[in-house]
Amino acid sequence: MKLLNYRIKTFFKYRDLIIELVSRDLKLKYRRSFLGYAWTILQPLMMMMVWVIVFSNILGKNIENYPVFLLSGRMMYDFLSQSTTGAMKSVTGNSALIRKVNVPKYIFTLARVTSCMVDMVLSFGALFIVMAVTGAKFYWTLVLIPLVVIQIYIFCCGLGFFLAQFNVFFRDTEHIYGAILRALLYMTPILYEITRLPENLQIFIKVFNPLYYYVGQFRDIVYYGNIPGPRIFWGGWVIAFLMLAIGVWSFQRSKDRFILYI
Amino acid sequence: MSKNVIEVDHLKIRFNMATEKVDNLKEYAIKLAKHQLMFQEFIALRDITFHVKKGEAWGLVGPNGCGKSTLLKAVSGILQPYEGTVKVRGRISPLIELGAGFDKNLTARENIYLNGLVLGHSRKFMEEHFDEIVEFADIEEFLDAPLKNFSSGMKARLGFAVATVVNPDILIVDEVLEVGDMRFRRKCNERMQQMLDGGTTLLYVSHNIESVKGLCDKAIWIDHGRMRKIGDSQEVCDAYQNDQDETIRARKEERRARLRRQGAKYDYLVVGAGLTGAVFAREMAKAGKRSLVIDKRSHIGGNAYTEDVDGIQVHRYGAHIFHTNNEKIWKYVNRFADFNHYIHSPLAVYRNEMYNLPLNMNTFSRLWNLNTPQKVREKIAAQAAASGITEPRNLEEQALLLVGADVYERLIKGYMEKKWGKDCKELPASLPDGLPLRFTYNNQYFEDCFQGIPVNGYTALVGKLLENTDVMTDTDFFVYRREHPEMFDRVLYTGMIDEYFDFCYGHLQYRGARFETERVEMADYQGSAEILDTDQEVPYTRVIEYKHFSPETEMEHPKEYSIISREYPEKWKQAAEEYAAGKNAAPLDGVTVFCDPVRDEENRAMYEKYRKLADREKNVIFGGRLGTYQHYDMDQAIAAAMELAQAEKLRLQKKRVANVSN
Repeated sequence: MKLLNYRIKTFFKYRDLIIELVSRDLKLKYRRSFLGYAWTILQPLMMMMVWVIVFSNILGKNIENYPVFLLSGRMMYDFLSQSTTGAMKSVTGNSALIRKVNVPKYIFTLARVTSCMVDMVLSFGALFIVMAVTGAKFYWTLVLIPLVVIQIYIFCCGLGFFLAQFNVFFRDTEHIYGAILRALLYMTPILYEITRLPENLQIFIKVFNPLYYYVGQFRDIVYYGNIPGPRIFWGGWVIAFLMLAIGVWSFQRSKDRFILYI
Repeated sequence: MSKNVIEVDHLKIRFNMATEKVDNLKEYAIKLAKHQLMFQEFIALRDITFHVKKGEAWGLVGPNGCGKSTLLKAVSGILQPYEGTVKVRGRISPLIELGAGFDKNLTARENIYLNGLVLGHSRKFMEEHFDEIVEFADIEEFLDAPLKNFSSGMKARLGFAVATVVNPDILIVDEVLEVGDMRFRRKCNERMQQMLDGGTTLLYVSHNIESVKGLCDKAIWIDHGRMRKIGDSQEVCDAYQNDQDETIRARKEERRARLRRQGAKYDYLVVGAGLTGAVFAREMAKAGKRSLVIDKRSHIGGNAYTEDVDGIQVHRYGAHIFHTNNEKIWKYVNRFADFNHYIHSPLAVYRNEMYNLPLNMNTFSRLWNLNTPQKVREKIAAQAAASGITEPRNLEEQALLLVGADVYERLIKGYMEKKWGKDCKELPASLPDGLPLRFTYNNQYFEDCFQGIPVNGYTALVGKLLENTDVMTDTDFFVYRREHPEMFDRVLYTGMIDEYFDFCYGHLQYRGARFETERVEMADYQGSAEILDTDQEVPYTRVIEYKHFSPETEMEHPKEYSIISREYPEKWKQAAEEYAAGKNAAPLDGVTVFCDPVRDEENRAMYEKYRKLADREKNVIFGGRLGTYQHYDMDQAIAAAMELAQAEKLRLQKKRVANVSN
């Protein structure tokens, strides 16, 4: 209990640091670019256009309003991919600091995931623009978006902690994880509807692909206008906290040895 | 009893770093399979124990990679102890390295916030103190420039300003100040001093030993992860510095030994291990040139040679008192020896009457019982007028004109005639040591700003100069040249120039002197370092009592005996014979020495002829008293040797340029 108290205290002590790190990430991302923050919206838009042109005739034939379908899935994926990749490098990348100042090391991982989350929330603007342009319906269920964002945020934090500590000891993680992410992109019903897959593969994905839960929920809310089903809704929460527990546990276990390896 | 703010007990830090770092899976798998998974440990620190009280300043010294920074990291909590404990009470402000916690892509303004927040301050706090930091770091103009464009000094300023914005309980500084300019370093030192006065505890790492000594009361010397010495910072720093010097010396010696074994050719053969040769060899060594210094005597130091006889430094070849007006030379010699503050004020005895020297109001008042300069001047003028001399043709007439008959008879005539072995009527009116005359009550013989005698003798001084040079004593140049002509390129010859050319124009003449040294069983023989005896009936010209050259040694170790030398005038011929024979006098033996060249017309003309021959010798430089047939004070000898070295360096430079352009 005392330890928890201490942890909460240090967290509050460094709260400003997290804010500063998040704003540093956001600032540096578009520093010196002409359009600046507009890229947060422009970038997903352009990416979507490419994908729509390439895939709409192959995969999206029978899908109504393919751009919104695609973008709603892709945004979840992008957040997961960017935040966890960033988190993975958050400890090694800040080695200069960690070697010199005694700060809680999770701060850097947390800040990285958080800044990606902020980035994602801002890029929802792109989604709404596409929805408006394509004449999609704005369902009331959109107000549930924060619930999904919190879930995937927690999940990404957990995964980020795990990857961050793992990458300290094995730098190969970066390469392996890149491949895993690529696989994840195609193993998740982002470009296509899950019903297009063979039955047993569908089951495999529903059981083993955590991203499926968040893409599914988000798409229910944004694209279909449904309240997500209890299986994916509660499943999403459980997976998120499970991942967080694994991440925190592995991070805590090895954080004192970081210094010897970075 | 103030509390310990840092307690380090039996600290051991272990790194798991093997010969190579295994940080990818493939290697890991391979090593795992081969059962050689990096369990080779590296102990960065072991058994470190020290307790720091509040407000103390501790310095850490040691060579690169000895574990200083590791220790700081352990104290600041970045590294966890492998064994032992580290207890710290209070807020730590770490300045472990340059630019710690700076993001080079952010601007200075942003970095100030980021850095402050990393150190655990709140944003509000940083906003309040922002101006203060900027002012201290002195970077107003560059606030919005990205940090990657900053110089290392500016980064250090910024880092220091942020870290010390609030008085931390413990400040840790690791060599960050070395890059700052002088103004900033002073500012930092002041700030640190203020913080120390305010109760901050300081852990300070620096390779600038002087600043450690200045700032810290205590110090730890770490070597290969262990504590070599802990305690008072002066003592620890001195011990460390001595050890470092010793290590460097040993390494250089090793290198010299290796080259010697290989029989490598010397750049310079320096003939004569006196001040001229030693200074030249040292200056050339600094320019990367290797010299072999040889001397036909069995010791180094030339005529400045001193030896320890029963705890007294005896000047074997006559008293040497260092005096100079050249600050550069004074600083130079002080780098190689500690000098005391001996001020030379000799006396003269004439049939038991004591007179102060040089001739001054003390002398005159004793002689005539006159108390003012006016009266003395009048007295001398009257005596000079009585002599009826207007144009002095010799020393006697010169002296009579200048000081009058009384002084001349008592203090000059006998001494000069003994010294030069000639009647004063036959001596030239101008002599090198002239007749210094003062109308003040001032017994100081030398009027130079800097004066003293090396506490441990001149031999030690010359030894220090020759520290990094091969030396062969008991080696005659002419023999060596015949036997090893291939061993050297160029020669600095400080021997007798006439001997070099086989006396082809005859012998150059010197005033000779013979020193008879003896131990007397009394604590004080004459009460002064030098007393001239101006009585013609007494065969010696003066008596030197060495212990008075270093009153501080005598104060520390009073002795019931004393060593004295009597100086007898000697014909130069005999001196020349003894010199040529390379005779080495045992302590307390008499020894004959060449003193000043007799620079009369005949000798000067002969020297000029020799000099013309010398100019034709392409690879031989002639230097020093005997090599250039002139009187040198020690400071002049050193200055001349430095000039010779400088000329050689220029020559080498020209040669290099010529080679390049070819």
